[in-house]
Amino acid sequence: NALIGTPVDCQPCPCPDRTSCAQIAVTGQVVCTNCPAGQTGMRCQMCEDGYYGDPLGQSGAVQPCVRCDCNDNVDLNALGICDHISGRCLKCLRHTEGDHCQRCQRGFYGDALNQTAVQKCKPCSCNPGGASGHVNECHPQTGNCQCLGQVTGRDCSYCEVGFFNLQPGVGCERCKCNPVGSSS
Amino acid sequence: PRPDVHPLPPGTHLLFAQSGRIEHVPMEGYEMKKDAAKALLHLPEKVIIGVAYDCVEKMVYWTEITSPSISKANIQGGEPIVVIRSDLDSPEGIAIDHLGRTMFWTDSVKDHIEVASLDGSQRRVIINSDLVNPRAIVTDPPNGNLYWTDWNRDAPKIETSHMDGSNRRVLVKDDLSLPNGLTYDSQSSMLCWADAGTHKLECTHPGHGDRRKVIEGLQYPFGITSFGKNIYYTDWRRDAVVAVDRQVGTESDTFQPQKRTKIYGITTAYAQCPSGQNYCAVN
Repeated sequence: NALIGTPVDCQPCPCPDRTSCAQIAVTGQVVCTNCPAGQTGMRCQMCEDGYYGDPLGQSGAVQPCVRCDCNDNVDLNALGICDHISGRCLKCLRHTEGDHCQRCQRGFYGDALNQTAVQKCKPCSCNPGGASGHVNECHPQTGNCQCLGQVTGRDCSYCEVGFFNLQPGVGCERCKCNPVGSSS
Repeated sequence: PRPDVHPLPPGTHLLFAQSGRIEHVPMEGYEMKKDAAKALLHLPEKVIIGVAYDCVEKMVYWTEITSPSISKANIQGGEPIVVIRSDLDSPEGIAIDHLGRTMFWTDSVKDHIEVASLDGSQRRVIINSDLVNPRAIVTDPPNGNLYWTDWNRDAPKIETSHMDGSNRRVLVKDDLSLPNGLTYDSQSSMLCWADAGTHKLECTHPGHGDRRKVIEGLQYPFGITSFGKNIYYTDWRRDAVVAVDRQVGTESDTFQPQKRTKIYGITTAYAQCPSGQNYCAVN
């Protein structure tokens, strides 16, 4: 307040990069009004929506505001896609999950980081007749389901060589071919 | 009165949300008085998305996603009041029925539309199916209609229903991409939307099935509001409020605040309520 008449009436704004501020007359509270790009908050201590970091180092080391890193598994038209301090992704898409949407959700397999959408997370879809476990449980990368005895294939949909007649909940039967008359 | 709330002089204003504050631009006719633009409200720790105006009590309402809530404040000066703070995940669009004294909002995580009295009581979910990314919502109080957008990448749409959620219908689904903004002008009965995917601003008379392109080549529209012959939209790329003449289909003015950050919701704070009453207001 320059109207009081003492040498310290005007003080520098407590804002980064000498940006402007405004003082609320009654409370004396000072609000930065023109924070650097990507920053916001009373003292520009926060990151804007779509960015994360700790630009003033309020809870540890200084971390400039950077864009949310969600491995292209969020929609840029969405709001609040990551936590503005930790950067934890909050709106993972395409069946991905994790702090950076970096892995497939349970029940899905594939490569969450792959650039092409079809290579990303696909449903396990284990064959209910051939899988010994749950139809939505498979290896997160390979997609291999847990199969019943002598059942094979990624999704447990067919019998091993020498076996036939896949029966739900039982597995496959040995062929029992007559060794004399068979060609294999 | 709270000193960081600059009371608004009489007249019509545009209110919009930008990075922890609600700004206002006074209108002189259809001209934005840019020099007189300033912050109505500083909410420095918040990310404000939707704004709506109640012309009866002269209150601005807003949604906020950092600590998900819906709040209000008198535009003539007054403390912000939180009206809803529980059971919200990502409240985005908000709309007021000034006749029925209710508010409606979309939640893009819960994927539903809710209604409540303006004090936050009598809260109820009215639409909770077939929504993927609900965003903008507007009311047509005299006719008791509700309109909203869903920018679902696989099947974007603009829908309508009565204010209790009944009589739900899809109004527009073809040639849509990211309908972020929606506005209803009760004088002309026109519903207009801004699409950040098709980069167009289009209008329709709901129920007539007509559809007219107002302007194309928009960069990244987010919020939109109508005022008389004009439409005003906020743009994420230009960090600006752009005025478009609805009839002529040209950009007539641009307001770029000094602060260069994303601008979200926008609404018109009319000097007076439009005349009219609806069923809910008398019953």
